[in-house]
Amino acid sequence: MTAIAGFREMVTRNLRQSGIFVAFLVIVALFSFLNSNFLSPGNLTNIVLQYSYILILAIGMVMVIVLGQIDLSVGSVVALTGAVSAVLVIRHGQPWWVGVLAALAVGVVVGMWQGFWVAYVGIPGFIVTLAGMLLFRGLAQRVLDNVSLSPFGGTYYDIANGFSTNGLLGGYGVDVFTLVIFGIAVVGFGVSQWRTRMGRIAYQQVVEALPLFVLKLVAIAAVVMWFGYQLAQSRGLPNILIVLAVLILAYSVITQRSVFGRHIYAIGGNLNAAQLSGVKVRQVTFWTFVNMGLLAGVAGVVFSSRMNGAQPGAGNMFELDAIAAAFIGGASTTGGVGRVTGAMTGALIMAVMSNGMQLMGVPQSVQQMVKGLVLLLAVAFDVWNKRRAEAR
Amino acid sequence: MPGRASASTSVRADRRVAGSKVADRFDGPPGGGKTGRDVRDEGQVGEAVGVGRRAPVLSVQQVSKRFGAVEALVGVDLVVRPHEVVALVGDNGAGKSTLAKIISGVLQPDAGLLEIGGEPVALPSPSDAHQAGVATVFQDYALCENLDVTANLFLGRELRERTLMREGEMERVARRILHDLSSRIPAVRTPVSHLSAGQRQTVAIARTLIGSPRLVVLDEPTAALSVAHTAEILTHIERLRELGLGVVLISHNLNDVRAVSDRIEVLRHGRNNGSFDARHVSQEELLAAITGATQVATSSTSDALL
Repeated sequence: MTAIAGFREMVTRNLRQSGIFVAFLVIVALFSFLNSNFLSPGNLTNIVLQYSYILILAIGMVMVIVLGQIDLSVGSVVALTGAVSAVLVIRHGQPWWVGVLAALAVGVVVGMWQGFWVAYVGIPGFIVTLAGMLLFRGLAQRVLDNVSLSPFGGTYYDIANGFSTNGLLGGYGVDVFTLVIFGIAVVGFGVSQWRTRMGRIAYQQVVEALPLFVLKLVAIAAVVMWFGYQLAQSRGLPNILIVLAVLILAYSVITQRSVFGRHIYAIGGNLNAAQLSGVKVRQVTFWTFVNMGLLAGVAGVVFSSRMNGAQPGAGNMFELDAIAAAFIGGASTTGGVGRVTGAMTGALIMAVMSNGMQLMGVPQSVQQMVKGLVLLLAVAFDVWNKRRAEAR
Repeated sequence: MPGRASASTSVRADRRVAGSKVADRFDGPPGGGKTGRDVRDEGQVGEAVGVGRRAPVLSVQQVSKRFGAVEALVGVDLVVRPHEVVALVGDNGAGKSTLAKIISGVLQPDAGLLEIGGEPVALPSPSDAHQAGVATVFQDYALCENLDVTANLFLGRELRERTLMREGEMERVARRILHDLSSRIPAVRTPVSHLSAGQRQTVAIARTLIGSPRLVVLDEPTAALSVAHTAEILTHIERLRELGLGVVLISHNLNDVRAVSDRIEVLRHGRNNGSFDARHVSQEELLAAITGATQVATSSTSDALL
């Protein structure tokens, strides 16, 4: 008895999930209408390069938020890890990978420090990371002696600015390698969706009607391939996009398929129940903060590479962008709800809005106001949606 | 209070009917049939049934616990055998929940001995208790509402392959356990937030069957439920007995207790205050023991009944 849900049923049931994607498409459509350059290959490449570090931070942030905590220190940690890397590579002439490894190690140590206070001492994450925000900002300034260091140059610079795979498979005017990678991604996505659907049918769960399912896949494939084609026309596949794809895939598996991920959701959903069920609450909390520190280290590398140097004031307010991305992407303020894919969409919405408004020459002050309102409306929509679900 | 008492008296008649109806529904697999005390389980869930029928699955001897100046438990004894539902009743503050928490590893006794399956055990944490074969449904915080039924059933003991979860297998076991309980949960992937209060309690009870326990402790499982849901939960408890488990049931509701349990142990001021055969005891006798109108010499009564 397989129930086939109609389009309307699907849309209303997944309003929160689909709403965010629809909102994203509407915003993209709006900006492409307002500015003909918005969807140009060069600008699409730019959006990816410009906001990659926010996407990386949002992955870790959504996990912290699902846990029922928050991390206000990531901006300062981005500055600190970038600073350590810059001192090693620029001032002491170490090879690029020493800088990368040192930055990641510092991120992990920072995560362990904050995880220790939250998990084992029992101080709320809000307080611990507020302290961390000041502490690590100060440390970053100390490490840099309060001056900027630049340039990295070479391989380190290419991490966030390079297109190492461009021309690997040749092609005239379009990079074949980029198209092949996007093709593989689309096919892989289609196969996994098909298997999920078959699984749901085998367990007699609700699925969309077949034409609707195919239509959805074709639409997604078309959009993704179009995006890939635009990149291929420009400079090919940015290195940072490869890093991002690997991170998003890996963390989707960790959050949705691993025991660790399941326990993060359980703790955020009902701390007492999780504890009484034998979930190791302290360990899971600790490692979630360590993971956030590691990803802040990755973002620190990417940002310093992108800026081709380290500044004491780098990464200011990044935490708020990452937190906003997670909430716009459907994370719940009370914990237990949120997905990596949602946070990525949320971060892209922020990225597209910033980029679009910059292209149109909207003043910085207005940009801030618009972003603030979008965050407020997104969470208000979530609250309204929840009430509606309860009333039913 | 008087209003509540009269309401539940009328409930009892309904439930007796409902209970027997549901009992007739267990007609399929071997070991089903009647809710009779001596039905041997054929091992659908209960690998636990290897324990000899006379050997106690749980034996609590002279357990004491104090919180500061308050003596919560003083030299309490409790014995539970396989295929037996033992109800723990008493007024508020009588020590029922404290005893349940000691059995399920949440609290540590100050003095006394715990034996599970004849072996003395120490239960420093709920997961140690679960390892020893004690599964508990805690009063309020049983489930994570943001997770689905399967995730809740396996929470804290997920089936894994290295670090990834074996979702397909967990779903299969979940379906089997819910079937064993004859429950009416629509799908094992339904989020718990979409379930009714009764269905949630069913999930909480089904949780106890993961990992073949020998003893199930239920702390006020019907406290917040409607009449129909209560009847359903009581049939689940009977089903646990059929599966060969020992059950400790804590409840305020004497009607529920008398409908489903084999033996009723009364606690008063943290001490044993009588042990009754649920089939023969009258409401008045129970109330007297609970309120302290009768002071029963503990050792003699429990010996008489064993």
